[in-house]
Amino acid sequence: MKPKVLLSRVGLWSAMSVTSAALMITLAPLTARAVSIPTEVTEEGKKTYSNYCAPCHGDEGKGDGSLARSLLPKPRDFTRGAYKFRTTPSGSLPTDQDIYKTISYGVPNSTMIPWDILTEQQRASVIPVLKSFSEAFEVRKPDAAVGVGLETRPSEKTLAEGKKIYEEKLECWKCHGVEGRGDGPSASEQEDDFGFPIKPFDFTTGKFKGGNSSTDVYLRFTTGLNGTPMPSFAKELTDEQRWSLTHYVLSLIKPEECPHK
Amino acid sequence: MKQFLFLGVLAVVFSCGNILSASDTSAKKVYTEIEVSEGGSIVGNVMFAGGAAITELNLHGGWDLGDSTKSLSEKVVVSKINGGLKSVVVSLTDISAGKKKVNPEIHPVIDQQKNSFIPRVTAILVGTSVDILNGDQELHTVHTKTTRNQPFNYGASYKMRITKTFEYPETIKLTCDVHKKSYAWIVVLDNPYFDVTDRNGYFEICDIPPGAYKLQVWHEELGNLEKEVTIHSKEITKVELVYS
Ligand code: HEC
Ligand code: HEC
Repeated sequence: MKPKVLLSRVGLWSAMSVTSAALMITLAPLTARAVSIPTEVTEEGKKTYSNYCAPCHGDEGKGDGSLARSLLPKPRDFTRGAYKFRTTPSGSLPTDQDIYKTISYGVPNSTMIPWDILTEQQRASVIPVLKSFSEAFEVRKPDAAVGVGLETRPSEKTLAEGKKIYEEKLECWKCHGVEGRGDGPSASEQEDDFGFPIKPFDFTTGKFKGGNSSTDVYLRFTTGLNGTPMPSFAKELTDEQRWSLTHYVLSLIKPEECPHK
Repeated sequence: MKQFLFLGVLAVVFSCGNILSASDTSAKKVYTEIEVSEGGSIVGNVMFAGGAAITELNLHGGWDLGDSTKSLSEKVVVSKINGGLKSVVVSLTDISAGKKKVNPEIHPVIDQQKNSFIPRVTAILVGTSVDILNGDQELHTVHTKTTRNQPFNYGASYKMRITKTFEYPETIKLTCDVHKKSYAWIVVLDNPYFDVTDRNGYFEICDIPPGAYKLQVWHEELGNLEKEVTIHSKEITKVELVYS
């Protein structure tokens, strides 16, 4: 790809990051620290879960609710404590805030909608219910969140560095494909920890399941997506290199190909 | 940066504390550490009676025997010399008191070479750390799917070393998602009486307090065997186990 093209993407990306920053601000009340998350299962939590969540996630959280059969991706099976979208290291349980964020924002490209039709308190109340489905929360505690350093400014140089990491050092293309379409040589054989087929994310669509902000993308490849083949690259790279890789991944978005962006 | 390092050291100290307390509580439940001065040992051989094992051996090469094992499949590796079966985990699981649990300071190593994990089977005592390396000049991942032991899934480039500690007894499959066919086993056991057979099927377990025990045998493909053994003070008990 020519640097010129890349740079025009950077421009576009910065515009996007501004809008997503704006989004963050408007959505900020969703993750407000003011919502207190109960530590024990409450009646309200049980009721909310069985009314709104059990049809997909199942009465016992096994991901086997009445609607689940026809869905792919499958509703999460909560019994293993494997959560994809976290701020914590590979394999760790999520923090309550991580779960709260997923419930509030939903998971794009799946039937998991943003549950903003529920009150903040209702969303908080189901969290202990979800945790009660897995013995993992009894024997383990979430590790501390990974550190995210100050974001660098995307430039021709950082994009070139990110590209090098993507293509040579960490070989993301093996799963995600050189152009980021989720069609790398190892893509077809992937399955998740529950035995269901799973596709490496197609970056060109731009609809990131874990959120579109640069921090979201940074966190995804730093912490990995538990329960899936998407590994954590926490043992590699400096913080600056991580931002370069983040910017490069965002530069793979092809807005002209996705009608809603 | 200094501060960061300091925190790192603190974290290590703390996590060690946790490991100790975790194995302490499990020790109270199932296993008591005692001084074993007059213990006996078991020495044995695990064989595979699958016929094809013993083919002709070319002795013309003199000492240079070439490869003395024959792989019936990736999983079943049998010695051409004596039909011994490699990578079998042999353990005394019903032992309630015995020698101290000691986690090796030098970590067992699992290396990824030419898209295979070497060794294929590693047995460790709870609380032991294992170093997982990448010796290939390309990306591998190391992925486990446990619930009690914290699972993990890391991308590893050339020369990466990932150190992980296993705190609960469990048989764990380690896979690489980039090369779907390669995997390894880590068998975590809650007492120190175990061994993994070598390429001729031999194993050895020592310092066992005299008494009668069940010897448990596990092979990834051929399954489990069990045998009663009686240990006498300062004697070597010989056993032969056959998968047929
Ligand atoms: C229509 C079906 C459906 C309903 C109803 C539903 N979900 Fe989901 N949920 C899903 C699917 C599908 C996924 C998996 C998405 C993926 O992995 O791409 C999911 C994933 C999740 C996750 C996983 C987060 C992670 O990090 O892995 C959480 C938490 C969750 N749902 C909570 C809830 C809660 C709480 C409710 C009720 C308020 C609920 N869901 C209702 C379908 C549903
Ligand atoms: C072993 C295959 C594999 C490799 C290697 C891999 N990924 Fe992934 N990645 C996946 C899969 C599979 C998913 C989708 C998981 C899902 O849909 O739940 C994913 C998802 C992601 C996501 C999350 C997208 C979202 O929806 O929020 C990001 C970001 C990502 N990968 C970045 C990377 C980067 C950067 C690298 C290289 C450093 C990389 N991946 C290497 C398999 C892989």
